[in-house]
Amino acid sequence: MVAMSTNPLAGLLRKSPFKPIQEHMRTVFSCVMLLPALFDALYRNEQKEVGELARQIADLESEADRIKSTYRQNMPNTLLLPVDRKDLLSLIHEQDSVADGVEKISQILTNRYMTVPDAIKPGLDELLEGTMEIITQAKSMIEELDELVHVGFSGREHDKVTGMIAGVRKSEHNIDKILKNVNRTLFSIEKELEPVSVMFWYKIIEEVGDLSDHAENMADRLLLFLSK
Amino acid sequence: MEVIAAYGTILIALAVIFGLYMTWGIGANDLANAMGTSVGAGAVTVKQAIGIAIVFEFAGAVIAGGNVTKTIRKGIIDPTNIIATPEILVYGMLAALLAAAVWLMIASSRGWPVSTTHSIVGALIGFAVVGIGPDAVNWGKVGKIVASWVISPVIGGTIAFLLVMSTRKLIFNTENPLKNAKRYAPFYIFLVGFVISLVTLFKGLKHLNVELTGPQSFGLAICIGLLASALGWFFIRKVKEDPEADRDFHFASVEKVFTPMMLFTACAMAFAHGSNDVANGIGPLAAVISIVTSGGEVMQSSKMPIWILFVGGTGIVLGLVTLGYKVMLTVGTKITELTPSRGFCAELAAASTVVLASRTGLPVSTTHILVGAVLGVGLARGIGALDLRVILNIIVSWIVTLPAGAIMAMVFFFFLKGVFG
Repeated sequence: MVAMSTNPLAGLLRKSPFKPIQEHMRTVFSCVMLLPALFDALYRNEQKEVGELARQIADLESEADRIKSTYRQNMPNTLLLPVDRKDLLSLIHEQDSVADGVEKISQILTNRYMTVPDAIKPGLDELLEGTMEIITQAKSMIEELDELVHVGFSGREHDKVTGMIAGVRKSEHNIDKILKNVNRTLFSIEKELEPVSVMFWYKIIEEVGDLSDHAENMADRLLLFLSK
Repeated sequence: MEVIAAYGTILIALAVIFGLYMTWGIGANDLANAMGTSVGAGAVTVKQAIGIAIVFEFAGAVIAGGNVTKTIRKGIIDPTNIIATPEILVYGMLAALLAAAVWLMIASSRGWPVSTTHSIVGALIGFAVVGIGPDAVNWGKVGKIVASWVISPVIGGTIAFLLVMSTRKLIFNTENPLKNAKRYAPFYIFLVGFVISLVTLFKGLKHLNVELTGPQSFGLAICIGLLASALGWFFIRKVKEDPEADRDFHFASVEKVFTPMMLFTACAMAFAHGSNDVANGIGPLAAVISIVTSGGEVMQSSKMPIWILFVGGTGIVLGLVTLGYKVMLTVGTKITELTPSRGFCAELAAASTVVLASRTGLPVSTTHILVGAVLGVGLARGIGALDLRVILNIIVSWIVTLPAGAIMAMVFFFFLKGVFG
């Protein structure tokens, strides 16, 4: 007969769907922040350290996965939410893709013994720096979610977050330029390197570039919240 | 007539016991729902909530509860056909009271979201249909009451929606939310005192021999509002900015301003609850006492003795002290998602709606109106997530409660009739 045996008010008020998204983003953020250290260890040819960092990344990635699946299980379609339920689910999916990407990169670096060609080091560093910046921006954007709910996604908070979204987009555009340069540099020295390694370097650069694409997708989802 | 003369004392004793049982149930469950929000927000401790409940439940019942009691006592059943056999109405009222109380206990122990109001109305109808005949039910009035069960949560929701919007416009969406919160807080507290007392006082309190003209009641309501806001200012001025908490959540300090404000809505909720729900228990009790003491007068023209209100109040307080505080704690810990500012808006909206219903003599459900008010906050995009399955559960509970109360009342009626002859 009556499925849920709780007090009506307690049954009505569910846990905020924005808190787990923020928690998930923090985990993803910690995961991404290990990338510079990972490459640094690679530059120094410290395979053991690379392996250790890859393990930490894998742990954080599975933690993010766990948060994501718990989240999905707790989102019945009977919920009245201030934003579209599908957009929330896509948002956490985009966040999770970032952690997945980092894990993929770390796996390539542990599975293959990769030496970094000196020519691409400056570009690679620039790319990593840009990626750290955009993920940090994306995280601060997600941290504003509970404030946004408080003001009903309007007014000052709305303008503030719109500004942050624009910032993420600008960073993404910037990273696209860096990517182009790194790829060109890699192309120019292709013949001097081992062919399979070249293939994997292109792959790694692409994966790092994808991280910023996911950050931009997150910004787009947030824009949907604001324009509802 | 002979039955009443012979068993009068026993009948009154039974009525008091059943009335205590019913109001005990209301205090154990219903009141805890109404006040749990303030407890959950940390505005009042459970002990303070019990203290507030004792004072304001009584005040609500005595000052504003008359009209609903009248509806339960003689608005739903028309006893003209049984003037010669007044004992039928006595059995009926006793049966209805017992049925509603038993159903309430079964439902609460199972955790079903039933309303005391729906139980007693269902039970009264059930008895009237079998005890006197379908014509004895004042169907027009019943229709109005049932309609009010749908309309009142909607009104509560609308008021809550507007209140949330106003807090955004005046406080949250401004350059300096904390400063504005402190500036407008006394105004919102004024609103609590003013609205509740204006609705209560308007056109006077005839049953307390207080005659007030329109402007007089207006003036008195303003005074009460000002008094409340002065008292509120005393608590609010001490609230300081907390940069530590604000780093995590920018509005943490602002919410701290709303916490003491929920003390006032807690009082308002207890008053509203007293003005409406106490009648569910004491209405039938008053009917029995009126019939027995008048020696069989079913039309019940006599005034309700004041001690009946104390029976009701005592029952509610007993319920609260024995079981209700536990429910209040559970409800309080479960609804932490409702921040003080939202809780304030929802409670003010709910309390105003309930008092308005009490004024018009409509028995409504405080809990359901509060649910409606929280939904209103949700529609203003102000709450993370609300599970709409609760609405379905509430509708199911209506559909089940009315016949359940009715059938139980029929059974108890025939049982009592068999015992007393």
